Amino acid sequence: MAAQRRLWTRRQLLVRAAVSGAAVSGVSALGGCSTRTPSSATGSTPTKLRIASPDNPVTWPIPGDNPPIEDGLAPERGATLRLYNYADYLAPAVMKAFEELYDVDISLSTFNNADEALAKVRSATIPFDVYFPSYDQIGKLVSAGLLQPLNHSYIPHISDAWPVFTDPWYDGEWRYTVPYAIYTTGIGWRADLVDVDVGGYENPYDVFWDDRYAGDLAVIDDFHTAMGMVLLRNGITDLNTADPDQLEIVRADLLDLTEQTRPKVTITMYNDLPGGQYGLTQMWSGDAVNAQYYLGGGARKEDLRFWFPEDGKGMVDNDLMVVLNSARNPVLAHLFLDYVLEAKNSIANFSWTGYQPPQRSIDPERLVGQGYVPPNLRSAVVREEYFTSGYRLLELPPEVDTAWHQVWQEFKAGA
Amino acid sequence: MTRRGSGHRVLAAATVLYLLWSLLPVLVAVLFSFNDSRSRTSWSGFSMRWYYGDLERSVWFDDSLQTALIHTLRLGVIATLITVPLGVALALGLDRWRGRLPAGANITVLLAFVLPETLLAVALLFMVTTLVTPLQLGLSGQVAGLVTFQLSYPVILVRARLLTIGEQYEEAAIDLGASPVAAVRRVLLPMLGPAILASTVLVFADVIDNFVIVRYLSGDAATEPTSVKIYNSARAAPTPALNALASLMLAASLLAVLAGYALYRFLTRGERADSRGLGAFTGEV
Amino acid sequence: MPDTSSGQRVRLLWPLLAAPGMVWMALLFVTPLYVVLAIVFGQIDPVFRSPLPAWLPWEWDFTQFNFVIDHVFGADGYFGPALVRTAVYVVVASSMCVLIAYPVAYYTARCAGRYKALILTLLIAPFWISYMMRMLAWVNLLQDDGLATRAISALTLFPSGFGQLNGQASTVVLGLVYGYVPYMILPLFAGLDRIPAATLEAARDLGASRLEAFRRVTLPLSRPAIVAGVLLTCLPMLGDYFTNDLLSGSPRTTTAGNLINNSATTAGQTGQAGAFVLIVLLVALVPMLLFVRTTRDPSAVRS
Repeated sequence: MAAQRRLWTRRQLLVRAAVSGAAVSGVSALGGCSTRTPSSATGSTPTKLRIASPDNPVTWPIPGDNPPIEDGLAPERGATLRLYNYADYLAPAVMKAFEELYDVDISLSTFNNADEALAKVRSATIPFDVYFPSYDQIGKLVSAGLLQPLNHSYIPHISDAWPVFTDPWYDGEWRYTVPYAIYTTGIGWRADLVDVDVGGYENPYDVFWDDRYAGDLAVIDDFHTAMGMVLLRNGITDLNTADPDQLEIVRADLLDLTEQTRPKVTITMYNDLPGGQYGLTQMWSGDAVNAQYYLGGGARKEDLRFWFPEDGKGMVDNDLMVVLNSARNPVLAHLFLDYVLEAKNSIANFSWTGYQPPQRSIDPERLVGQGYVPPNLRSAVVREEYFTSGYRLLELPPEVDTAWHQVWQEFKAGA
Repeated sequence: MTRRGSGHRVLAAATVLYLLWSLLPVLVAVLFSFNDSRSRTSWSGFSMRWYYGDLERSVWFDDSLQTALIHTLRLGVIATLITVPLGVALALGLDRWRGRLPAGANITVLLAFVLPETLLAVALLFMVTTLVTPLQLGLSGQVAGLVTFQLSYPVILVRARLLTIGEQYEEAAIDLGASPVAAVRRVLLPMLGPAILASTVLVFADVIDNFVIVRYLSGDAATEPTSVKIYNSARAAPTPALNALASLMLAASLLAVLAGYALYRFLTRGERADSRGLGAFTGEV
Repeated sequence: MPDTSSGQRVRLLWPLLAAPGMVWMALLFVTPLYVVLAIVFGQIDPVFRSPLPAWLPWEWDFTQFNFVIDHVFGADGYFGPALVRTAVYVVVASSMCVLIAYPVAYYTARCAGRYKALILTLLIAPFWISYMMRMLAWVNLLQDDGLATRAISALTLFPSGFGQLNGQASTVVLGLVYGYVPYMILPLFAGLDRIPAATLEAARDLGASRLEAFRRVTLPLSRPAIVAGVLLTCLPMLGDYFTNDLLSGSPRTTTAGNLINNSATTAGQTGQAGAFVLIVLLVALVPMLLFVRTTRDPSAVRS
């Protein structure tokens, strides 16, 4: 009976001690068995990010422990090439033809926005072979040792692309990247749904704050692109500004936007605009051209419209293809890059995605005549001059990136 | 309570309206999976093109849709095979073991049952990406997350059944000379058969429809099950092939549940009617 | 094991059976929640902005957590509206669920007669239909050229609907109701089914009218079921982000789930995601514990 009155039996005490001991040692053990923080290929964590810009071109180093693959290797047999890209941004026919040519499978994984993609690539746990970023991630990708330097001998068709891409400012000597698509960011709308002459506005970007189109418009779900437009609206041409006052203007305007016109925030304009989900949207030029293939509910391609500044002083960018270090099939990855760069495949890709490739064989002036671009979307054609006059969305230094993302987070929180 | 009146008619009407509102959209979606055109909203005629006809985008020919289907079924089988034995053992142990530790474990299991799924999914994502563990984004992470999320289901079902069974059969077996392990194995487990079966079927049906956990813990496209595929495609440019995929999943779920329920009725054929119904099977009632 | 009596061995059998499950829960349920704490109270890599978790409680740094709290309640509080909005949506949606579910459950439990099994089957069916598919079905119907939009344009003055998929709170709330009302119906059905007919007959025999019998007998007796149903419905809603993504897409209807989802994969904001997880967890803890209490009550389990 006395034993029953004791508060703890011996067994309970032992069990309790074991459990708390396990907990404490478990917590300390967690410290030991973390972590997956990325480090550069040289093994040390860099403390500063090199930012490339047209005025400040960068040639990335090739560290000794991250050499390119050797020449003359055979493509991997029976493999699955893993691509990581936006949805509907690569023609299925091109992928199928590559599969048949090399007798391999292609697995395409998609992401919804650049932030999400970078997070997955950075975790380095998924063996993607080819990734389609833009150059605003290149510094982080190279410094973290996530990219493989390219062996140019596998990619002769770089000569089909514009010569500037053999030594772009963001990747001197094209050590890590090849170009994918070039595009501008403008404003698209449906003439049959919205009665507006965007070009006739004194400040065309004001149309997004115009109550008449409330509830019927959208902006692109990319922090840099959407906020860049707000900067342009306010006449600020440094689209990578670190100035807190300018960011404050962007913040105020974005919150205004939510209140006055309630835009949708998405990247599926190429489907939603021709589908009639809304009538007016911020749009990538390739999406505008692509929209003609997604018409629904009685829409006609003649009703699609696109506006971009005539003088080329708008957002101009290009996407890239890179081979990741986690690639299980590096040779195939190189061959895929070459395949997509080859003129005839590049043009086949263009006719499906609507995104213009920087190919020498393409004369922008003739795209409308050749039927790739409807005449009413003439302004969606990307001209080489735009790259001189236009504004780029560059990589942002970490503190600036934080500040920008904070504004974007506030916008997306719907305050 | 056999008196009829206008009150009952109103309630009956409300019930019918609710059932229509609840199930009609799904039936429409299934219907449009047989649509002849690309539209998911305008009917153009009956066709099987989205199931096997269309050479590029039908479920039969589109690799990505097939991969999603196969991965879903793989997840379903593996997660169920782990969850049910683990859960049944846990239920037995927690039911009979007295003390603070099992009481705490019991509360944890019940909390896991009602915890909003997103919280668990994000927590697991953080764990998998910051700790070096055998778990990776992809199949292993997804299975681990699914088992954790579903574990409470068999525990609750089996414990409910244990309550109705009581301890007398085991005690009788032990009195007749059986060892405790044998008593459990040869007396208790067969009696728990229906509950175990119900857990298996329901965990399977739940796992193949899971979205939040499998999405956060997915790796590349090969580890995206159909629910994630539907979500991604619905936000991009979907075709009726998506409806077809969802309809196939629906058929799989229904088949699993029907087969399970039939087996359940067979196993409980000696018992009282109200403990054999669909409600008892699903543990909802 | 010194004592070989069967009593002692029986006592060891149960812990042994429970051990694997408990270890699993400790490793994969409790530990991840601790990882969240370590990340919220940890650091951020200055260059890559990846999370650097702080495992030992004395190393914890509250900067990230304070940032979130400041922006919930402070003058600058831009997370506050989203959290308030979540509470509003959940309360409205749960209430609508009760209003819809109660009559249906009542009818099925007490008046359905020979159709009871059939109706019960149809009520349970949504559990085996993927949530995504049910939402996809609604997106199809509500699209610009969808059947529901056409019905609306035929019956009302809105020629192409009222922009129902463009950031309307009503669409999101109705979506939540549609998605989660089955979770309400079944516990309500169970509770109403358990009320013995004899009790109600006794009330009628003692002179109560039908309405009074309902109000003073049925309703109070079904209260535990209502509570359980509400808890089972509102708790998943707190973490829901995909309903909003599918049916809206505008920041105007952002909920707590979206706050978590948006920041969980954005570099530098993982700590904030963890903080949101903690906030939602704390808010959900009370209903969760309430559910545990009502479930562990044996009288609630036995019929």
